[in-house]
Amino acid sequence: MFEWLFKYPRDEFTHGEFVFASTWPQWVLAAAFVAGAAAILFFLLRRREMGALRLAAIGALQLAMLALALFILWEPSLVVRSLKAGENAIAVMLDTSESMGFTEGEQTRMQQAQGALGSDAFGRLGSDYVLRRFVFSRDASATEDYATLPAPGTETALAGSLLQVLRQARTSAVGAVVIVSDGGENAGTLDQEQLAEIASLGVPVHAIGVGRERVPEDLELQEVLAPERTLPGTTLSARVTIRHDGAGVARLKVYDGDKFLASRDIALPEDGTVTTAFVDFGLQEPGFRDLNFSLDGKDGEAELRNNARATVVEVPQAPSRILYVEGEPRWEYKFMRRALDDDTSVRLVSLLRVSPNGFYRQGIDDPQELQKGFPTEAKDLFKYDALVIGNVQAAWFTPAQQQMLADFVSERGGSLMMLAGSSGLGDGGWGNTLVGELLPAQLPAEGPSFHRARGAVVVTARGGRSPMLRLSDDDAENARLWTSLPELADYQTLGQLKPAANSLLNVRIGDRQQPLLVTQLYGRGRSWILATGGTWRWQMALPVADQRHEAFWRQLARGLVADTPARFELTARSKGDTVQLRAELRDEAYKPQQGVTVTAVATPQAGEPLTVDLRPSADQPGVFEAEVPAADSGLFSVEALARRGDQTLATTRMAMRHESGRAEYFSVRQNRSLLEQLAQATGGRYWTADQLDGLPEAIRYSAAGVTQQEIRALWNMPVVFLLLMLLKAGEWLLRRRWSVV
Amino acid sequence: MFTRRGMRVLGLLAGVAAAGLCAVAWSQQAQTFLYGTAPEASEFHFTRLAYQSRNGAGFGRRGRWLTDWPEAEQHLLGGVDRLTRIDAGEQGVAVSLTDEELFDYPWLYAVEVGYWYLDENEAARLRDYLLRGGFLMVDDFHGSREWASFMDSMQRVFPDRPVVEIEVTDPVMHVLYDLNERVQVPGLGAVMSGVTYERDGNVPHWRGIYDDRGRLMVAMNFNMDLGDAWEHADTPWYPEQYTALAYRFAINYILYSMTH
Repeated sequence: MFEWLFKYPRDEFTHGEFVFASTWPQWVLAAAFVAGAAAILFFLLRRREMGALRLAAIGALQLAMLALALFILWEPSLVVRSLKAGENAIAVMLDTSESMGFTEGEQTRMQQAQGALGSDAFGRLGSDYVLRRFVFSRDASATEDYATLPAPGTETALAGSLLQVLRQARTSAVGAVVIVSDGGENAGTLDQEQLAEIASLGVPVHAIGVGRERVPEDLELQEVLAPERTLPGTTLSARVTIRHDGAGVARLKVYDGDKFLASRDIALPEDGTVTTAFVDFGLQEPGFRDLNFSLDGKDGEAELRNNARATVVEVPQAPSRILYVEGEPRWEYKFMRRALDDDTSVRLVSLLRVSPNGFYRQGIDDPQELQKGFPTEAKDLFKYDALVIGNVQAAWFTPAQQQMLADFVSERGGSLMMLAGSSGLGDGGWGNTLVGELLPAQLPAEGPSFHRARGAVVVTARGGRSPMLRLSDDDAENARLWTSLPELADYQTLGQLKPAANSLLNVRIGDRQQPLLVTQLYGRGRSWILATGGTWRWQMALPVADQRHEAFWRQLARGLVADTPARFELTARSKGDTVQLRAELRDEAYKPQQGVTVTAVATPQAGEPLTVDLRPSADQPGVFEAEVPAADSGLFSVEALARRGDQTLATTRMAMRHESGRAEYFSVRQNRSLLEQLAQATGGRYWTADQLDGLPEAIRYSAAGVTQQEIRALWNMPVVFLLLMLLKAGEWLLRRRWSVV
Repeated sequence: MFTRRGMRVLGLLAGVAAAGLCAVAWSQQAQTFLYGTAPEASEFHFTRLAYQSRNGAGFGRRGRWLTDWPEAEQHLLGGVDRLTRIDAGEQGVAVSLTDEELFDYPWLYAVEVGYWYLDENEAARLRDYLLRGGFLMVDDFHGSREWASFMDSMQRVFPDRPVVEIEVTDPVMHVLYDLNERVQVPGLGAVMSGVTYERDGNVPHWRGIYDDRGRLMVAMNFNMDLGDAWEHADTPWYPEQYTALAYRFAINYILYSMTH
């Protein structure tokens, strides 16, 4: 119909450029219209007896007629640029990854794709252009035809493969790329940068999507995020993301190997396709814990392999050590120590100024530790995983020690927490120091900011989500446990929070609230303020059996040390059939260590250990990298050794879950949005496999490749004559009805 | 009319009544001054335990729990301020075991505990206080009879926990001062009598009750009178060496209670 009325296909109007072909200047057109309109107005005004409404109607029709006539006189045309038949190639890319084998109805996705490739549309494309055929999964390769296909790929790198084809096409006239896929990108290669690079190559990508977009009978455990390291007995909160189509309840179970840990029923709303939830559990046994998360299958769910994911969490054997420096004996010191006494995963080493000239040390490993007071060398301070500074004035530390405190956070990557006190925080002169700069809040310069007055603790919204502040797994019970705590013995006023800071707890004094537990990341580490020295009242005012004070301090202490990096850190990441190793080695002062040899022994769950030498990174001092082949899925453990000559500097080990070939199970649904995103970014279009009639025409107007320019006259479009007739007939009918000439 | 003898008896009775009233008033004043919330904002308060005496306060006497008040704590707190970094209130406070404020003061001092009496409710409160982390120092009781009287109530607090001698190696004897020598600290009366003991309490004992993790909860200075040694720090004829030692014991107890 469109083409009958407008003479040309819709795509020509979409891609073409409208021009007036007449050599007469366009200002003459405007002047002629104004003159004609004035003449119409003049003659109509002489017929005022017709009435205003009728004059307006007749006038409007005559003006439209005039405009249309002038439009025709100026020869309206469409300049269309299109691919030159016979001189261009079209790249056709067929997804041959494993997910294309999913059966939907009676056909597999691959059969749907083959059907599309054998359609008339591709026949027409083949007659006008040279078709260059490619298959792709992890990467792309050329093929003569699609009769014989390679073995299904275990990974889909859609963007990477597309870039590969487009780069090859630079040397030849490729007018467009047609990609036939379910969009199941799982190599993690499509980011904004890559999308921009694809778009910059200027070749339109037309994406033909195959596979169902909604699969109501399927649940998919899309992602599990858990900390890489946790201390024994700490409540761990893992974030799980579930893909679903439709409402329901999904039961998630967590196992440590074969040992059941936790279960949670997660409500799936009707209006969402992705639901995120948290599941809390604790790990007691030290070592690398192989955690398995699985969703119970739905009735009729065919693909159950995407209901499970696994991850490894390290539970360190040796306790982390926190150095607590306190300027005077006080109850908070005593009760914090008592709360941490039974915690085998954290050891509190304390240095307490008991008299003007005397220290009292507790929790030390040997009699020499801290014998001369606070460390004066970085190597002695950086042995600790976290620092707590109590009621101590800034001036008690030398400038060099203050610099070490700052470096402890920014370079060492440890946590530093400052407590309130009459000589602490702002009242201790910390505001204008190096340490003050890294703290998560400004400190008031005018004192006193420390108040021996009661205040109630309030959990903020962010604090409520923090596993560190969880006193019960049940949300309502957790809230009740916090609100029913006795008041704190004291509090300290802080200034404005720094932009990156978050308050996890507030203290309520009368009607107002102010931050109490505040934290922010700083460099490689984290800084904290606990603006009270009076949580000890919780212990003294609550029954002996009540463990809230102990739980608070144990969880906070574990939070302080949970992310503190070791001197020798080893991480690993799966990439296809390989595992990428990265080791970072620092000296005792946590400066990047160079001129060393790092060797790793990688042991897959099933297979022989493999020894590899890690290469020093070209741009990151102290970083060493290697890639290890890993064909089979399973637990993958690595032991690394750093040496200088014959001297062993450090050893470390880690474990990870390598999932080779499982990624394709998580592409049950067609990722239409990704295909559309690709097409839109390049000027192409998204197509469904059964509606490809317009594809050749859409490709024809590509600006890439060898193009030709054609001018289409528009004045003789049927729609123009129809409009002329309608306008004149309309005027005639109205005049006849109103009996006016 | 009254006879001369009658007038004398009447005068004597009036005198006794006036003295009694004065004593009561003094005691009331002490209680009013000491009781309740600490009068100043400090981290540590010398907290006297107000208790019922087994045989009453005694005619013309204030409560036994107030023995040595107020000079004992005033003198000691001056020493605590001078010798340590503890932020201590200049005046003491007092609480009874049934007071709401009991749990706001994690350090308690009880004197002349050979005469104290704790009922079941008070014993339960003290047990709870100690198990939550509170510390009790008891002092100025002498001889087997007062020990038995003290233990009569103490056993209601902890029927199953043994009272043991505090070893010289215990951290409480070394937290600031190394108190390796066991010297009996006498009361003023004993000193004036030329001895260092009272009744049959010839041998001093440093005894204690520990919690399940081996932390001292109750420190007992049996057959000693540290309170007198603090009180008479400015009495010329009270030997300075005992005062100095009594200060050291007290400071170690306080520091221990704030660190363990």
